[in-house]
Amino acid sequence: MRYRITCDVGGTFTDAVVADEHGNLHLGKSLTTPERLYHGLESAVAVAATEIGLDVRTLLQSTDLFVYSTTQATNAILEGRTARTALLVTEGFPDILVRREGGRLDPFNFAKENPEPYVPRRLTFEIPERVDSEGLIYTPLDEERVRQILATLRELQVEAIAVSFLWAIVNPVHELAVARLIEEALPDVPYTLSHQINPIIREYRRTSSAAIDASLKPLMQHHLRDIDEGLSNAGFGGELVAATSFGGVMHMDDLTRRPIYAVKSGPSLAPVAGKTYAEGEAGHGRVIVCDTGGTSFDVSLVRDGRVVFTRETWLGEQFMGHLTGLSSVDARSIGAGGGSIAWIDPGGLLRVGPRSAGADPGPACYGRGGTLCTVTDAAVVLGYLDPDYFLGGRMKLDADAARRVVGEIANKLDQPPLTTAYGILAVANELMVGAIKEITVDEGVDPRDSFLVAGGGAAGMNIIPIARELGCRQVLIPRTASALSACGGQYSDIVAEFSASKFTDSRDFDYAGVNAALRALDSRMEDFAAGLRKRNFTTFRKEYFVEARYVNQAWELELLMKSDQVVGPDDVASIVADFHTSHQRVFAITDPGQTVECVYWKGRLTAVLDKPPLRKRAGPTNGEARHLRSAYFPATGEEPIEVHMGAALAAGAVVHGPAVIEEPTTTIVVYPDSAVRVTELGNYLVEVE
Amino acid sequence: MKVEERTGSVGQGEAFDPILLAVIANRFDAIVREMTNTLFRSGRSAVLNMARDFSCGILTSHDQLLATAEGLQVHLLGTGLQTPYMRKFHPDMAEGDAFLHNDPYLGNTHTADHTVLVPIFIDGEHMFTASAKAHQADCGNSQATTYMAHAIDIYEEGGLNFPCVRVQRGYEDVGDIIRMCRMRIRVPDMWYGDYLAALGAGRIAERRVKELCEKYGRDLIERFIVEWLDYSERRADHAIRQLPSGRLIGHSAHDPLPMVTEGIPVKVIVDVDSAKGRIEVDLTENPDCVPAGVNLSEATARSAAMIGVFNCLDPSVPRNAGSFRRVDVKLRENCVVGIPRFPHSCSTATTNLSERVINATQSAFALIGEGWGLAEGGGACGVGYAVVSGTDFRRGGAPFVNEIINGNNGGPATPWCDGWITFSMPDGAFVTYIDSVEVSEQKYPIQFDSIRLLTDTGGPGRFRGAPAGEIVIGPKRDPIAVFYFADFAQNAAKGVWGGEPGSLARIVKVERDGTETPRPAIGDTTLVLGEWIKGAEAGGGGYGDPLQRDPEKVRSDVLEKWVSMEAARDIYGVVLSGSGEAMSVSGPETAELRKRLVDNRVNGMDKGGRDGHQKGR
Repeated sequence: MRYRITCDVGGTFTDAVVADEHGNLHLGKSLTTPERLYHGLESAVAVAATEIGLDVRTLLQSTDLFVYSTTQATNAILEGRTARTALLVTEGFPDILVRREGGRLDPFNFAKENPEPYVPRRLTFEIPERVDSEGLIYTPLDEERVRQILATLRELQVEAIAVSFLWAIVNPVHELAVARLIEEALPDVPYTLSHQINPIIREYRRTSSAAIDASLKPLMQHHLRDIDEGLSNAGFGGELVAATSFGGVMHMDDLTRRPIYAVKSGPSLAPVAGKTYAEGEAGHGRVIVCDTGGTSFDVSLVRDGRVVFTRETWLGEQFMGHLTGLSSVDARSIGAGGGSIAWIDPGGLLRVGPRSAGADPGPACYGRGGTLCTVTDAAVVLGYLDPDYFLGGRMKLDADAARRVVGEIANKLDQPPLTTAYGILAVANELMVGAIKEITVDEGVDPRDSFLVAGGGAAGMNIIPIARELGCRQVLIPRTASALSACGGQYSDIVAEFSASKFTDSRDFDYAGVNAALRALDSRMEDFAAGLRKRNFTTFRKEYFVEARYVNQAWELELLMKSDQVVGPDDVASIVADFHTSHQRVFAITDPGQTVECVYWKGRLTAVLDKPPLRKRAGPTNGEARHLRSAYFPATGEEPIEVHMGAALAAGAVVHGPAVIEEPTTTIVVYPDSAVRVTELGNYLVEVE
Repeated sequence: MKVEERTGSVGQGEAFDPILLAVIANRFDAIVREMTNTLFRSGRSAVLNMARDFSCGILTSHDQLLATAEGLQVHLLGTGLQTPYMRKFHPDMAEGDAFLHNDPYLGNTHTADHTVLVPIFIDGEHMFTASAKAHQADCGNSQATTYMAHAIDIYEEGGLNFPCVRVQRGYEDVGDIIRMCRMRIRVPDMWYGDYLAALGAGRIAERRVKELCEKYGRDLIERFIVEWLDYSERRADHAIRQLPSGRLIGHSAHDPLPMVTEGIPVKVIVDVDSAKGRIEVDLTENPDCVPAGVNLSEATARSAAMIGVFNCLDPSVPRNAGSFRRVDVKLRENCVVGIPRFPHSCSTATTNLSERVINATQSAFALIGEGWGLAEGGGACGVGYAVVSGTDFRRGGAPFVNEIINGNNGGPATPWCDGWITFSMPDGAFVTYIDSVEVSEQKYPIQFDSIRLLTDTGGPGRFRGAPAGEIVIGPKRDPIAVFYFADFAQNAAKGVWGGEPGSLARIVKVERDGTETPRPAIGDTTLVLGEWIKGAEAGGGGYGDPLQRDPEKVRSDVLEKWVSMEAARDIYGVVLSGSGEAMSVSGPETAELRKRLVDNRVNGMDKGGRDGHQKGR
């Protein structure tokens, strides 16, 4: 038997999903181990291996493909844990990251602080050099000055360097020369060159890409190499690829060289899973996908059967944060999850998050030294979580510790502990409702028309009141909810994109230049495919795109090409015709007869994977079907409620609230006045009244 | 359709579902954003496809502004003045029509803003109008600039004027109009592409609004309009009731011009009636129209006053015809900041005096007390906003003309924080984008030498005004003409409550030998290869006493070179020791120095902060 493993390392939990050749999915969940992330990864894989009846080494040896995704890069930026990074720019243009591209929402609000640049001015250095827009050297590089500045960087104990010069995309000679000087003077300091990381015109975006990428290098290179080594040592010899922000994958080595592509990579897979489940259950093309982890709550959308992407990825709020310069799945994140810390603000108001107890020390009930009250502690006190059945019983929770920390908050609020615990959950619910509204109501999308898919280990805890508040009538909690992103990896194809810049126009088309660029793309795709062919991946699809525009436009439209070469005037005419059609569809007008400029060329390689079929639920197992446990709801007070073991429920079974359904990696709280039905596919469908 | 012009607050009949109200309101905003995206991504000139100097909106058939999203403030708050002329001039208006309107005497902002109006018909009846107003690279003026500050009248301005003419019928261009533009505008293909982009924005809105009416039903959408405008009015009412009643008078002044050598004073009288939830802004006590291009149009005069008011209200109040009911702007015919009398020129109506009216209004609110209102924002249109023209040797000598948007005027300091660096200027605060140097150099044969933010240019204060930017550009090979129209070279953006003014705008020509020749801040220069034009915009005014600024903020300002060591000591009274990141605030010395500086003030003549306002430096 051969296997495919997908693994997502979050801020609190690490999830692994193992698919066998028959499409059976086995989940493993483990606490993330910040001191060495590989440990948590191996533990999660081990849980799944045990379920299959293998040891980790045998499983890894029998695995062809390992897809890795992680929130580490995003979290490092949001928590300010990136490297101390210096920026080298063309003399005369020191404020590229300060001035950004202007623009802002909420223009009548004068209480917003000006955002800080990604690299402060004091770590930004002007280098005497200039290339002009035609690629000619306008001012030669002053190498002596560069050496002096590099000596200063050493004194300043800079840990990473971003180099971004004007027009390096046309002539990179100065960036390359500086790279050489860095390697001489500061051989241990990683650097990023703008023309290599994101070869696009527009200095702010390219500089921002370079700065973010460089700042992630020390941390991510260490981390990714460690995962790679750990897996090799444990016997894995298959293809190791890592998820990227654009919903595709890269070889791990490539990601190590350009870690910016790891930013937002985890959340990019969750909507893939959400879409698959929603289609399987309801044939629904309008889906809201939420993922409640330990640290964050992520929301993304599926519209008309397609995952919603954004061309402009912001870290933080649009215009206020930093632009990565890359496109990504449009996922909104807030700091609210099972590990979010409850606290009382100076005005006496109960607040939750955005600080999280993470995995270490974690919530107080984890018994790992956490002393602050979290959402998970509140759920234990309310009786929603079984201290003896957390992660399927692999981890015992300390209910006394939970009661102690909730009690502290309760005392400060002068409220009974149960009311307080419910209050903590209610505040978290509000935050999550707000995040969902931001991506739906604020964009003019009515959440009531949408199918809500709730994933993440903590999803079942409060999705019912959230859905009720939003007016969503149908909510699906997949059986594999707790590993939504990792599952998404199982339902994605392997997509790798390569691009080249080659400017020409329809009046005087450069056939030789364009075809050479296309052939180069083709050979890069072939290289990528070769590795996969060795692993018995047989079905590949290659597509070619051109990004084109009318003369004088500044933004391009992407067109799918009909073939891999542009042979003669008929092919050009076909590109032009497609461009007019596409322009009419997107912008409602065309400019017939106008010259069309072709700017970028792209190759997309898709290795089509057999997706694990959505399997019907196996018959209910024997063994314990249900027991009673005391739980609190405001409507009913504290009273014994039925706890159903998920495995014992047959398809079609309906559980009426108040009740709890226990799955090995997730718990679904069925609130009073709601009911949950087990679907044919073994997922849980909530019908909210 | 019947949309009653109601001034009352709570609607009658069954309550409108509040979630649906929010959903549909945001849906309209989302449509406006899609219009915006269409124009931005499909526009041809850099002023549109990089700087986003354009605005989209949706109005009702009764000229009520319904949705604006993030358009330029000065473009939008006076909208509603243009659409009546569609009905007046075109009683046969029909589906598939579009109108071109740039007439500043009939509700448009200024001649350079071409507005494309697309009436949207639902079930055969006119129900909405989509408006896309875009600043043109060229509008056929007598000189190669879209801002003719020196034009004595509209004849000298010379641009093509379209008093709400039909430009499409049955979804087809009216060839006569297109040909008029193509024959006269300096960059015809650029213009036509930009016209198409604006038209496309309107057609996208038409498509989406129809879908929306289809989905929810026309009756519900009609009810929505009433509810949403009433809700917005209630929000404005509530926000105004948070202010104390009283009369606030703000002053500002435009720099002198050759034809108005004494400059143009601006007086804004704001009457707040807290109990009624109403504000009146009176601009009538201002000079008559002047023989220069700086007169405001009615749309910009109204907008400028409204912007000043809305800048000082709860920012979550929606900006539409509903909330506007609570703000009355009193204008006078033949007034330089009022209703222009033909043929006075309004060529620079969106910028120069608009900035002055906005600044005078928002700083008047500071008279309520410290913690209210705003300082003044920088509003110079110098080299960073210049219109550059010439021929491009790389394109066979084809002519080019475009306004570059690469300046940094400092944002005003506020009661809560320092000014914004990418403020741009008061009339389009925050929302315009900044050009990419690379895209500019690719599109136009100009070379950028430098763009940098300047130390000690933000007005000092407890909260500091944002710094000004300096830009240096020159020709790539063949000569270029550069037109600039910078106010704020003599009258700075003032601070309030002891906050000091921002730096003045400045323009110099850098000769081939490197010497610098000062140039008048409003004018033009032709540059040959080796010559450069260098200009700084204006810094923002400070808010509150700089001696009360948190010394740690001053330390950070010094590290980031926003403030020099000398200014930290002399103006902020902060003593720093050490250098680089090891620099620290010397607490006792700072306290002592600050005390001494306060004592000096009492002995001297500086009474800054007493009346809430400080004169320009």
